[in-house]
Amino acid sequence: MRKIAVWILFSVLFVSQVYPLVWLLLYSFKTNKEIMSGQFLSLPATLQWDNYSSAYTAGHYLQYLTNSLIVVSITLLFTLVLSAMVSYAITRFNWKWGKAVMLLFLIGIMIPIQSTLLPLVVIFKNIGILNTHLSLILPYIAFAIPIAVFILSGFFRTVPREIEESASMDGASVYRIFFNIMLPIIAPPLMTVTILTFIDVWNEYILASTFISKISLKTLPFGIYSFFSQYSTNHGAIGAYLIMGAIPVITIYFMLSEKITKGMVAGAIKG
Amino acid sequence: MHAAKISKLTLSVFVLPCLILYVVLVFVPISVAAYYSLFQWNGIGEKLFVGLSNYSTMLAHDPVFWPSVWRTIMFAFFSMAEIPIALLIAVLLTRYVRKPNFLVSSYFLPVILSVVVIGQLWKSIYNPASLGGLLNNALDFVGLESWTRTWLADPEVSIFALFFVSLWQYLGYHILIQFTGIQNISQEVYEAAKIDGADGWKADRYITFPLVVPVFKISMVLAVIGSLKVFDMVMVMTAGGPAHATEVISTHMYNKTFAALEYGYGSAISIFLVIECLLATVLLNKLFKSSEDSMQ
Repeated sequence: MRKIAVWILFSVLFVSQVYPLVWLLLYSFKTNKEIMSGQFLSLPATLQWDNYSSAYTAGHYLQYLTNSLIVVSITLLFTLVLSAMVSYAITRFNWKWGKAVMLLFLIGIMIPIQSTLLPLVVIFKNIGILNTHLSLILPYIAFAIPIAVFILSGFFRTVPREIEESASMDGASVYRIFFNIMLPIIAPPLMTVTILTFIDVWNEYILASTFISKISLKTLPFGIYSFFSQYSTNHGAIGAYLIMGAIPVITIYFMLSEKITKGMVAGAIKG
Repeated sequence: MHAAKISKLTLSVFVLPCLILYVVLVFVPISVAAYYSLFQWNGIGEKLFVGLSNYSTMLAHDPVFWPSVWRTIMFAFFSMAEIPIALLIAVLLTRYVRKPNFLVSSYFLPVILSVVVIGQLWKSIYNPASLGGLLNNALDFVGLESWTRTWLADPEVSIFALFFVSLWQYLGYHILIQFTGIQNISQEVYEAAKIDGADGWKADRYITFPLVVPVFKISMVLAVIGSLKVFDMVMVMTAGGPAHATEVISTHMYNKTFAALEYGYGSAISIFLVIECLLATVLLNKLFKSSEDSMQ
C-alpha cells in the first residue's frame, strides 16, 4: 500500500518534470490552429515537418549553432585547464598564499555575473571587443572558474600523494606529473565541471543579448529569442526551433549523466 | 612532498593565468561598478559626482527597491523550504527503486533546459484560456472557473507564478544532490545497523539523515545563492512587470541601467546585490556552525 503511494508520487513527479519536453515536441509538429486550441496533450493531426524546415532556413540555425559550439568549446578548454592547474597548486604546492587564493575563488561562487554587466560593456567597448565572441568567452570562463576550482580541489585532496612522490623520485618534472599523471586521474570531476559549465554557457542568455548584436555572432538562446520576435505568429516553427536548440544539451547530458554525480559530490563533501 | 622543489616560476605558471583572468573579469568590473555608483551618468554625457546619494536614494526613496529585495529573499525562503522535500524524495528513491538513476536523471531535465525554453513553456501554461493556457483550461475543466486568472499579468499572483516555476525547475537539482549524498554513505554502516535491529525508517533516522547533513548544507547554500541571483528567468517571463510586481533586485538593476539609462544608480544596485550575496553566505555558514555546536 505504501509502495503504491510512493510510486504515484514518483510518477507525478516524472510527468511534471518530463512533460515540458513532450509538450514542446508535440507543439513543434502542430499547426497554429492546433496550438491555439489549447489541447495540450493532443497529437498533431499530421506531423508538420514544415515547422522544422522553416525554422531551419529562416532562423540562421546552423550559424547560431556553430557560434554556440565555438563559444562553448573555447570556454570549456580554458576553464578546465586553468582551473585544474590552480586547484593542483592550491592543494599540492606549499606556498604562503594558497589559502587566500582559494578563498578568493570561493567568493566568486557567490558573485552574480549580472553585477558585472554594465562595467563589462564599457570596458569591452573601450578595448574594442564588444560584439565579438571574445566578449562572451572571457566572462564565461571567469565565472565558470570558481565552481570548477571548488570541485577539482575537493577531488585533488582525495588523491593519495604516493603516486606523485614515486613519479617525482623517478625524476618526472611537475609539469609531466600534472599533465601525464594527475589529469587522467581527475577525469571524473573534470567531467562534472564539463557538464555544469556546458549547461550554463550553452543556455546563457543575458550576456549574449547585451554584448552581441551582429546576427553572424549570435549564440543559440539569443538566436531563438530573436526568432520569436521576428516570427511571433508562427508558433509551430518557434517550437521546432526550441527543440533544435535543446537537442545538443540534452544529448550531452544523457551521454555524461552517469558521471556528473560522482565528481559533484566528491567536490561538495571535501570542499 | 616535492613541495621544496617548486620554483617561483612553476608556481606562477600554474596560478597566474587563471588568477589574473579571474580577477580582471570579476573583481575589476565590480570595482568599476563601485566607482560608477558614485556618479550620476547616462552613459553618453559627462559623469556628475554625487557621492553616496545614489545609495541614499536607493535605500530611502526608491519605491521599487525594497519590495524587490523582499521578493528576492522570498525566492530564497521558498527554495530552502524545498530541500527537505527533495531529501525525502531522495530517501524514497533509494529505498523503493531498484534502478533509480533513470528517474533521477529525468527529474533533473528542467535544469538543463535554456531559460528561453522554460519561459516560453510556462508562459503558455499561464496564458488565458482563450489563448490555450493549460492551467486556466484545466481549472475550467474541473469547474473552478472563479480561480482562473491571467497568472502573469495579475500583480497579486504573478510573483507566486514565478516562484512556482523556479521551485519546479530546481527540484530535480536538489534531488540529485541529496540522492548522490545518500549513495555515498557506506553500505557497511547500514548492515551493522541492521544487526543491531535498526532498519527502514529507523536506519534513516539514525544513519541517513545525520550522514547526509554535509550534502544537505551544500544544497541549502546553492539554493540561497541561486535565489539571490535570480534574474534571467524573471527577465524572460515578465521583465519585472506588471507595474514592477515581479521586480527582483537583478531585474531592477537591469531595468534602471539599460532601460532608464541611469548608469550610476544601476551600479549602486549592482553593488548592493554583490554585498547581499556575500552577506547571505557568511550568515548561512554562521548558522550551520552554531547549529553544529548546539548538537554536540
